[in-house]
Amino acid sequence: MKKNFGIWKMRRFTRLFLLILLFAGVQIFAQEDTTSTNVEAKVEEIKGALDGLNESYLETKTIVDALKKIKISGYVHAQYQSAQRDGAASYAGGNFGAGIHNRYTVRRGRLKVAYDNDITQFVLQIDATEKGLGLKDAYAMFKEPWMRTFGLKAGIFDRPFGFEISYSSSSRESPERTRLFQTLFPGERDLGASLEISQPEGDFSFVNFKGGFFAGNGVNPEVDNQKDFIGRLGFSFPFYEENLGIDFGLSTYIGKVKRADGKTIYTVNSASLASASTSELWADRKYFGFDLQVYYSLPVLGGFTLRSEVIGGDQAGSSANSSTSPTSLLTGDIYQRNFLGYYLMYVQNIGEQNQFVAKYDVYDPNSDVAGNEVGAVAAARLGSGDIKYSTLGLGLVHYWDDNIKFVFYYDIVKNETSKNLSGFTEDLKDNVFTLRMQYKF
Amino acid sequence: MKKIIFAVVIMAAAFGFYMQSKVITVKGSDTMVIVAQRWAEKYMSEKSGITIQVTGGGSGTGIAALINGTTDICNASRPMKPSEREKLKQRFNTLGVEVKVAKDGLSVYLNEVNQVKELSLQQIKDIYTGKVTNWKEVGGKDSRIIVYGRENSSGTYVYFKDNVLNGADYTATMQSLPGTAAVVNAVVKDKNAIGFGGAAYAKGIKFTAVKKDANSPAFLPTEENIKNGNYPIARYLYLYLRNKPTGEIKEYVDWILSKEGQEIVSKVGYFPVK
Repeated sequence: MKKNFGIWKMRRFTRLFLLILLFAGVQIFAQEDTTSTNVEAKVEEIKGALDGLNESYLETKTIVDALKKIKISGYVHAQYQSAQRDGAASYAGGNFGAGIHNRYTVRRGRLKVAYDNDITQFVLQIDATEKGLGLKDAYAMFKEPWMRTFGLKAGIFDRPFGFEISYSSSSRESPERTRLFQTLFPGERDLGASLEISQPEGDFSFVNFKGGFFAGNGVNPEVDNQKDFIGRLGFSFPFYEENLGIDFGLSTYIGKVKRADGKTIYTVNSASLASASTSELWADRKYFGFDLQVYYSLPVLGGFTLRSEVIGGDQAGSSANSSTSPTSLLTGDIYQRNFLGYYLMYVQNIGEQNQFVAKYDVYDPNSDVAGNEVGAVAAARLGSGDIKYSTLGLGLVHYWDDNIKFVFYYDIVKNETSKNLSGFTEDLKDNVFTLRMQYKF
Repeated sequence: MKKIIFAVVIMAAAFGFYMQSKVITVKGSDTMVIVAQRWAEKYMSEKSGITIQVTGGGSGTGIAALINGTTDICNASRPMKPSEREKLKQRFNTLGVEVKVAKDGLSVYLNEVNQVKELSLQQIKDIYTGKVTNWKEVGGKDSRIIVYGRENSSGTYVYFKDNVLNGADYTATMQSLPGTAAVVNAVVKDKNAIGFGGAAYAKGIKFTAVKKDANSPAFLPTEENIKNGNYPIARYLYLYLRNKPTGEIKEYVDWILSKEGQEIVSKVGYFPVK
């Protein structure tokens, strides 16, 4: 009986044990099933979050890509200058005020905004200095999408003539453009439209052309129906193996200046004869130019460039005392002169951060007369506008970092003298020292 | 007298320190980072007194650094653009010096389980411009193609765009990753992925053979196929310098082009130019 009871107990125990095992197994399987469901849910959740992030990334990327097309740049030229005498007339940033021979100025304070949509471009640039706020560039441009070679530009922008005009003031090693360019192209820009041809890569990438029709008054409203043609045919020959680059271009300006009612156009090309006069409605403004830039690298020192430009032609000046191109409708007589000007510039890199600069420029506003001939005969109508100038500039440029550079520069200015012209019987004291700090971004 | 001797000793020590601590900075292509680091390590172990600092960032970044004057040598996996040469000309009055240091087959990476074995240039272009979005359209399984690429500062990005996409824009769905290693890593993990980059990064992925057009034979980016010009997207890897190298930099560049330097090119997985 005891044995049977023992067997019965044993069987009960075994049943109970199996029951527990079964229950535990069910629990384990149920737990595994729950865990698996949880993992799947978690994966789905993460996948959903990733998809959301991906969508958000694509949305952000679209916005960032659009914003990347907006480019903001600018630079400031803060400088100290000292001239040889009070009130010196100067092309190194404008005349000194009466009783002043040194000054602080913000020569340029530029802010440029461009929207670059690859084949179309919008550009607006302003210049803010102590003298006020001025517009420098405002143009639209587009390139055909197939070859990206032909483009059209319209608005206010650099005249396509020579090299120095389009060479940015922030990159230029001398503080100012030459007297030649400041006289012929005041403000560098003009209002007009031009065709630009430049193959980005390929057999004809060595040649480019920029040319179009302009109002002819700089950044000023149109004053007549005559449009001036300005154009440059440029060539670029890089010899990469030799690290030698040779660029050159031929430029022309063919335009007219309108005579005011009742006024006269004088051709001042003779020192002894009375200047010829005419009552033609238009005076010629014709320039022809050649520019050359050579780049080469010297061992140890670094790269150097030799630049030169020669411009000659007929200039229609506003008076006997100025050969500067008119920027508005003339109200006085017009003085027609044959002029010639050129410059030679040498820039030598010295290591990574320094450059030595030497620049010599000559501008003869009236190449038909010279020296004492100016002012000798009153009827010849020659004046200070016919005086020839040469300037030797010597300077050092130091690049502090990517943004800041310092320019130390001294202009030695020589003028033609004439014993017959008051104020020009001797060389004027108008040398100028410039110390400039540039911040560019 | 003692003061003078002391000053001379100090100056000599300073001069000696200056002479001993010549640093050459190398910046640019991520594709070339590994080979550039190997070059630098080996060269520094053989030549004392020279420190070579190698960083990546992409060919565009390296070229910008060369233009800004913040690197001595730029690594680039694409040729410099004329516009970049112009910037160099403007700041340093030089056109830059180009040195070809290796050859690479720009490879198209697939996950190892991907059934696709070959693609034509047109098919690769269609995938990367978003025209083809499913593997079944190019002989694979019915699944969405996950497109990986590089950031636009990368020379590989530019080279691929110019030479495979013929200047067309990448698809907006392409995921841009910083560095070829990151692209390879993404393709390893994703069986539907496609990526591109240098041949030296082929770990855990497979290359697709590339056909010039639909009727041409397909070639893998092997040394032989790249050397004989059969592989259609082979390219050079470059060093760029501002001026003709002199002194320590010249010695280093000459060493890279020497037998020893070119052996490292082969070891890393690229192909020597000499």
